[in-house]
Formats: sequence, structure tokens, C-alpha cells
Amino acid sequence: MSKTISSIDLARRALLRRGATLGVAGAAAPWALNLSLIGDAAAASSTGDYKALVCVFLYGGNDHGNTLVPVDNTHYNQYSQIRGALATSQSSLTATTLQPTTALPDGLQLALAPQLSPLKTLWDSSKLAVQLNVGPLIVPTTAAQYKAKSVPLPPKLLSHNDQQSIWQSDLAEGATSGWGGRIGDLMLAGNGGSLFTCTSVTGNAVFLAGHQAVQYQLSTSGAVGIKGIQRTLFGSASAQSALRTLISSTNSNLFADEYANVTRRSIDAEAKISAALSGLPTMGTVFPSTSLGSQLKVVASMIAARANFGLSRQVFLVSLGGFDLHDNLVDNHPALLTQVADAMKAFYDATVELGVSDKVTSFTASDFGRTLSSNGDGSDHGWGGHHVVMGGAVKGKTFYGTAPAIAVNGPDDIGQGRLVPTTSVDQFGATLATWLGVSDSNLATVVPNINNFSKKNLGFV
Amino acid sequence: MEIQTDSTVLMTRPEPAFASDESLGFAPDGGPAADLADGYRISGAGSPGAVVVAAAAALLSACGGGSDAQPPEAFLRTDAARPDRKILQTPESGEAASAASTPVPTATELMDWAESHYPTLFPGHQSDLSLPPYVYRRYDTGNYLGVSGSDIYLLGPASGNVLLRVGSLSDFAPLVLVTRYAFSDAQAARFLLQATLAASDAEIANVRSLGYSAWLDQQFAIAPSAGNWDWLVSKGIDTDPDASNVAIGVDSQVWQRLLSASDSLRQRVTLALSEIFVVGFDGISGPYKQFKLAAYWDLLSANAFGSYRTLLEQITLNPAMGGYLNTAGNQKEDASTGRMPDENYAREVMQLFSIGLYNLNADGSPKLDAANQPIESYNQDTVSQLARVFTGWNLNRPKGESGPEFVRRPMVLNAALHSTQSASFLGITIAANTDGTQALATTLNALAAHANVGPFIGKQLIQRLVTSNPSAAYVARVSAAFANNGSGVRGDLKAVLRAVLLDEEARSDAGLTAPGFGKLREPMLRFIQWARLFNATSASTQWNVGNTSDPATRLGQSPQRSPSVFNYFRPGYVPPNSQIASQSLLAPEFQITNESSVAGYLNYMQTAIGNGQADIKPNYSNELPLATDPTALVDRLDRLLCANQLSAATRSLIVTALTGMPSSSDSNKANRVYAAVMLVMASPDYLVQR
Repeated sequence: MSKTISSIDLARRALLRRGATLGVAGAAAPWALNLSLIGDAAAASSTGDYKALVCVFLYGGNDHGNTLVPVDNTHYNQYSQIRGALATSQSSLTATTLQPTTALPDGLQLALAPQLSPLKTLWDSSKLAVQLNVGPLIVPTTAAQYKAKSVPLPPKLLSHNDQQSIWQSDLAEGATSGWGGRIGDLMLAGNGGSLFTCTSVTGNAVFLAGHQAVQYQLSTSGAVGIKGIQRTLFGSASAQSALRTLISSTNSNLFADEYANVTRRSIDAEAKISAALSGLPTMGTVFPSTSLGSQLKVVASMIAARANFGLSRQVFLVSLGGFDLHDNLVDNHPALLTQVADAMKAFYDATVELGVSDKVTSFTASDFGRTLSSNGDGSDHGWGGHHVVMGGAVKGKTFYGTAPAIAVNGPDDIGQGRLVPTTSVDQFGATLATWLGVSDSNLATVVPNINNFSKKNLGFV
Repeated sequence: MEIQTDSTVLMTRPEPAFASDESLGFAPDGGPAADLADGYRISGAGSPGAVVVAAAAALLSACGGGSDAQPPEAFLRTDAARPDRKILQTPESGEAASAASTPVPTATELMDWAESHYPTLFPGHQSDLSLPPYVYRRYDTGNYLGVSGSDIYLLGPASGNVLLRVGSLSDFAPLVLVTRYAFSDAQAARFLLQATLAASDAEIANVRSLGYSAWLDQQFAIAPSAGNWDWLVSKGIDTDPDASNVAIGVDSQVWQRLLSASDSLRQRVTLALSEIFVVGFDGISGPYKQFKLAAYWDLLSANAFGSYRTLLEQITLNPAMGGYLNTAGNQKEDASTGRMPDENYAREVMQLFSIGLYNLNADGSPKLDAANQPIESYNQDTVSQLARVFTGWNLNRPKGESGPEFVRRPMVLNAALHSTQSASFLGITIAANTDGTQALATTLNALAAHANVGPFIGKQLIQRLVTSNPSAAYVARVSAAFANNGSGVRGDLKAVLRAVLLDEEARSDAGLTAPGFGKLREPMLRFIQWARLFNATSASTQWNVGNTSDPATRLGQSPQRSPSVFNYFRPGYVPPNSQIASQSLLAPEFQITNESSVAGYLNYMQTAIGNGQADIKPNYSNELPLATDPTALVDRLDRLLCANQLSAATRSLIVTALTGMPSSSDSNKANRVYAAVMLVMASPDYLVQR
């Protein structure tokens, strides 16, 4: 086994390098480091200039094989041969066949799953791009190198929790910062340090945790107020007052103290958000009443209220689970894709309504792609997969990256059609970070393996 | 050569050193003794006598003659002994009220304890020696430790070579016997809050009278309470025409058990197991989901005090798990279509249910390779090979059978669909064409025998019951109990639970003040504790608590509703941007703690405390009489909910607030009780189980 440079080491080195050039004591002085990094969003003023990234995470590992389907006869036959009963019928793909500005090689034509037709509309108007075969990598890697273990590889490939973490953070489970959060670190100053720099509507995920930026958690119904401190508690003002003191006091036990920290943030943020959201005009765009629709609706509300918070840059996280379809793929995957497409399309429409469609870029991400071959009625864990990028600033109607060979034991396959990514998450993240305003010199603090790749901007936005 | 040099020393009698205590500047009040004890090598080294004693001791030890040495004469002059409470940090005597029944350690137990807690003073294990009136031990440090009657004496460099009486056996009882007896109601309550779903005064008394071990024996011997399956049947849900397709009773079947069953230890352990061997409603496929979950809970409950190997086999063949991780219907490879075995169970049974990702030492730390990197315990090839073993299995539903019975029968093998390929993994090879049942047994034997299981499962049980960050030594002790229950049996979960709950790290009061000890109470456990403590009942007997998963409006957690097989939270979760993270500690429960959930919990509990949830209504008949005495009311709640762990400041704040509330009418009194329960259950002192 080769000696691997872990991405933890790389992240630490990047941080130390950064600290060293700035003459501070590296990771040991996080606040000093933060003060030194505040430049990136400084150009952004709180009046007018605004950009946001929205990560739509598909938990469980999206089956990319049935998300973006080869539709020309040659490649469709290869696909259906391998997929067997999992294959989507060729005739159902006509309406969603993508006509890119530049055709793919070898006559390859790809279609979105029929359920993604709302996104096809956005593709046609150049508001949607497709990034082919992207996944976690430390260095550019071929299938042969993977098999020979001759290059450093991300840890725990094919494991759900670890690959979710690696996609979001570059580190396996246990990571305490993600690239969304590290972008947030760089944007904090331009945001006046706002807690809402990194906002999740879908539970704690490492993606939005920064070294200084905190992941703020919003519910689909907005910020949750604590009834017992907003009015008398069981008829008593003294009990109400005691409750407020109790839940926000410091504590000598680390767990109790952290719980109180979260509670204090909850109380402060709720007051601000409730005031800001209550003054908003009603949005005309109708969101589907699904989990993802409700989450993206709240994101749209937060964007609408951005001026109240003095925000110039934001990163959001929403998610949908249920993609781990080892079984019943054909029965269950289409409904998930429908939910994704309807919610994302509504969200795009809302950004148009709010006049910020070119200031908000959304993208999908997932644990991993899946096997191309079937296990009978589903597919198993893979590695690389295809993702979409959506927004008015996106250079759409274009495929980015390299289309994989449609083959088992093909050049991109590490077994059963598990793709070795030809584009790294770090490149994908660097492109988005750059658009948001992260400078080249800070990219390695966001995506620590980026300097191992020659192309640091994929150009899709 | 050292023997030659030292042989002259041996001729020197050590007595002068013991007689010359004034030369050490020894104060009769024993104050400086502590200094001497702390730095006795340095202080002692400055004294010629001490050097002599140490050298003599070293030689005696080298000659193997240590146990024959007679103690110095001074050792016998117990009437001249000075009291000292510092060297061994003699504790204050326990609660006077229970002094009569307080257990007292034997001299042997006391000295064993002293050896393990003061190894610099009393290195190695020595045998008891007898010299009336003493039972004593002598150590290579030159220290003598003896017990005469109920008094404990120390002589040697550690005592400045002055005979000291360091306390009585009963003084040390709460330390020496800390893993065996509760010396206060608070200690008993603390144990119950780790081991069970709630404390009560009756159970506190029971623990105090039996001691921990006998209490565990008593609980282990109790037959499991009525099963969730039988509860569903008692409600007629098996014959309800909608039951197979509608989720009737899905949540109630588990809530009724958690909120009302009498076997509280078993149910707490079952809940813990349900968070390691996870099956969640959202991933259950097919009909009769409520019966699948009920059968799974009953399975975990039945095996909670059983064998790990048996548990592993039963979950592997359980229909709920079969649907959840796709063993049910999994088919062998087919070269003509390219179909491969489903890998889901093969991967997760290793990653989550048995061995974990990395090779572990018995203390839970990862083994490292030559490059100082953790060693992965398996790879993708292992998964692909192991997946073959889990092919050919499917639900056992005879044609024409109606009703849910098939969802609790173990899955059965269809040999024609079982892989015929050989499978090599984890150092074993299953030959091609091996019978599928035999292949499964061989596989599960190999997994259960893997050195990782003890530390991997053991540490998680510690995290679920006691503390998020057990020391390596604690994990190692639990691993040892997993490896051998004392009778040569591996994987005896009773022995594992005993090791988890009776470890000194779990029982010692030191954890109460250590900043990183304990764990955030899980939201569902808080609610369960509330319902049980206040004897909540469901008038309809339907226990319609429902799904409490929504963090914004409910508990952010609901039993048997983990969002994935990775549980509600990961055992290795570290909350970002926290002191917990900067101290490199874990806090799994913080993965479901955020700005929405903390508010949602308080709101949900406020409703529950004042009005109940659905028709689950609390009974505050024990608390209402205390409404006019806020101190007594808070005392009671502190003892039963918090094992007296509320800080003085928290208590005072709550008492003051309650005192400020009117108390004349019945509704006034009720509001005082509600506010008291709410304030306690909102306080961070309560939220962290220590």
C-alpha cells in the first residue's frame, strides 16, 4: 500500500501555510487567522452586491445512471444491456434529451430522466449545466491507479457516512468543517459577522461548518421561538425570567455549556428572523408542498430578507434523503427525481421573482454515484456521479467534464460500473467558491486538494 | 554487582530513619505530610534514612524476599500514630442516616484499592501479611500499609516515616466499594439514570439495599415484559384490514413499551441496541410495517441480556432488517445479465454491527501501520465477497397464509438463489458450493470472533448509557468482559453491561465534576423519563405519542425512526466551533442539537408538562403536596430527574422563581409544579447526564 497523504494533512498544511504567510501561529490562532482572511468579501458591500450558493444534497447516493441517461442508439444499447431491468425506456427520454451547445464526442447524446423535465426547460434557456462524473479525489486518478493503489485516495470510498462527509468537507466522518463553511469564514467580515452566513434548513451537516462561521439551523417554518420565554410560563413572569436565565447561562460542563451556546444563538436569531420575515411581501411563486420544496421556500424567504440582515454572501444547504436504492430503484427513484426537479425549478422561479436569479447558484451533490450494473432491483454504492448546476449566472446548456464510458470493466470503472471521477469535488467546489468571490490564493483553505489539479475553474459559472 | 553494593545496606537496620521524624520537620497536624507524599521521592531522597529504606526494599524485592520482611517496630505503636487525612485523601464519612447499613470494605479490599489508586506509593500487587493486630502489606517503596481493627495505618517514605492513621475502613467505604454500593440516594439515582429509563424512590431504595451487582442480577432475572407484537395483537391490529398497508400502531407499539413497561433496564438497553443495530421506519419495505418494527424490538429486547453471536444471527435473518438492508430477496450473481449480489447488508454488518472501519486495539484506539496510519478492517473486495453469503435468503411466507406472522419468522434460504462462488474475507474462505446455512454460520462466527467487536460495540454501549468519551482503559475493561464473561464465554452481553455500568469511571463521583464527563441526554429519553417519573397513563391505552421526529415542533428524535442505518447521530460526531471540538472530544447527541431543536424541545415539553401529549397525561400526585414548599419540590425533582446534579445556582434560581408564584389555589399549585418540572428539564444541568 502506498503512503498516502491524507486530506486532513493537506487541509492542515494549507491552513498552516496560510498562517505562516500572514505571520500568525497557524491553526493555534484561529481568530487571528480569521482577521487576516477577511479580505475576500470586503469588496462586497452590504448594499446591492449579493451572491448565494445553495447546495441540494441528495442523501443516500443518487443513481446517476438513471438521472442522466444515454439516449442515442449505440450508447443506449450499451446502457440497457448493463442495466437490465433498471433501464429507463429509450422512448420515454425523447422530451428530455439535451441538445448542448457543443456536442459530446462519439455521437453520445444524453437525456435527463423524464421526471427532470422542469430542469430541461432551464437547460434550454441556458440556466442549467451538467457536470459529468464528479466525485472526491485527492489527485487526478485513473482506474488503473486506483487498482494499483499507486496514488493517494480519499478514505473510506463507498461508505455512506464517510463519503457524505468527504463530499461536504474533504474529510471522513468526524470532520469539523466543510467547504461551504470555509467559504463562509471568508465571507463573514463582508457580512458583518452575520450568523446567517451559513444557513441549513436540513439538520446539522458538516458542509456548512466553518472554522469561525457557524452553521445556523432554520426550520421549514422559519425560526422556532421558545414559547416559555416569549410569554409568561405557566402564568408566571418569574418562571419565564428564570427559564431565560437557565437556558442561556454558561456551565462548567462542556456539554451543558455548548447546549447553552446553541440556545443563546437560537434565541437571538429567532428574534431577528421573525422580524425580518414577517415584513416580507407574499411570494407569487408557488413551491411544491414537499420536503425539498418547503426547504427551498424558506431559503428563498431568507434571500428576500437579505437586506434586513446586511448580508452580501450566503451559503445554504437543503437536502432530500432516500436515494440509497439497493432495492426498488425503478419504483422509488422517479418520485425522488420529481421532487428534486419541481422544487429546484420553483426555487429558480422564485429567484427570478426576487430579481436575484443571476446572484443565486444552486447545485446538487450526493454521497456517491452508484453501480451501473444491477443487483436485481437496485444498484450498489459507487464513486463518481453526475450533478447539475442551476442559476442565472450559470453558463448553461453545456456539459462540463468528461462523459464516462458506458461499460462494466471499462476504462472508468473500478467494478460493476463504479466510476472513477474525472473531475474532483475540489474543482467543483473551487469553481463555485470563485464565483462567490473567494480569491485564488484562498482556494486551498476552502478545498485543500485543489492545488493537485491543474484546472481550478471548470467554467460552468 | 548491585547485590554486593547493597549487601552492606541490608545490614543496616532502618529504625533510625523512622525514629528521626523531627529531622524531617514533621508537623503533628499532618499538614506537611501531604507535601511529603506528593513529592516523597524528592523529600525522602534528601533524608539518609529514606535512602536506606528504599535501597533495602529494592534489594529485598530483587531477592524475592519482600514478603518475609518484618515491619519496623514503629509500625506496631498504633497508640502513637498521628492522624492524617491527606495522603490518601480520606473522604468524609457518608450519610449519617444510613450509617448502620453502610457496607464496609475488608482489609484486603482496602489494600487492593490502595494499590490500584496509589500505585506510586503501593506498587505492584502484594499479598496480605499478618502480624497481630495487623493485616498488612509491604511495598518495594518501603511503605507499609496495614489495617488494625477498623483503622488504617501507613508507615514509610510516604508518611515521612512516621506512623500515620489515615482513616477507618468505613471512611474509605464509599471509595473502595464505589462500584458495588450506592452510598447515597444521589449515587443510586445516578446509576438508575444510566441503566434504566427513569429513577424512582422505590428503585433508589432497592439499589441501596441490594448493591449494584445484586440489583443487576435481579433485573437480569426478570422475564421480558409483554412484547410489542403481543400489544399490537391485543389491540386487534393483526386483523385490521388496513394494517398491512397503513401504518397503524407503528409508533404506539414502541412508545407503550418505553413509557410503561416494568423491565426498565432491559428497555433502556434495548433502546441503546436499537441505535447500534438500526432499523428505521423510513427504510422498511412491504406490508405490516408496525409488526416488523414490533418484532424487531422484541428481538432486541429478548437478546438484550443474551449472546452477541445469537443477536447477530437473529438480526441478520429478521424480516425488518431483511427489507431494510436488502438481504430479503438478494440473489446470487448472474453472468448472463451481469447481475451481482446486493452489497448493502454485507457492508453495513461490518461497518456498523460488528467490526467497524479500522482495526482496533482492545482499548478502542485504532491499530496503526508502519506509516502510523489506521489500518482499514476491510475493503471493497471484502464487501463484494461477503455479499455472496447473504444471497438466497427471503421472507418465509407460506402460500395462502394471511396475517402478519411471516414478518417475525426468520428468513429462509432458497438454495437455488444462493451464490455458488467461493467467498474469501477477513481471513476465512468459504468454499464454492458450500451450503448457504453453513456459510452464514461460518461467517457470523468469524465476525463475532473478530477482535474489533468488543471495543467497537462496547464503546458504543458506554456512549449510549454512560459517557460520550470513555477513557481507553474503560473501553479496554469492557472489551475484556466481552472477550470473557469470567466463565470463558465470549460475547455475553450481561457481562458487557455489568462492565459498562459498574466500571469505576461510571460510578465514581469524579465524573460529576470532570468537565468532559457524561453525555447529552437524548431528547426521546428526556420525554420517556418525564412520562415514567410522573406515572403518565394513556386513558385510551393507545399511547398515541406518534412520530416525534420534527425538531421544530417535537423532539427531533423518535424511537425506531432513525433517518438511516447510521442512527440519529454518529458515535464519532464532533460539534463544530465548540469547546468540545477544541478539546478533541466527541458528543454524538449534538448531531441532532441545533437552533431549531433546542426550541422545539422546550415547546414540546412545555405542552407535555402542562397538558400531556395526546391522551398521555402525567400524574403529579407526589409533587402537588410539595407545591407550597419549593425547596422540597426542587429537592425531589433534583433527586429523581438529575441525581442531585443541579448546581446550587440552578437550584436557587428555580426555588426563587417558584417562590414568586402564587400557591393558594389548586391551579396555583399545579402551575408551580409545572413550572418546577419545566425549569428543571430545561436546565443544562439536567440536559447532561453525568
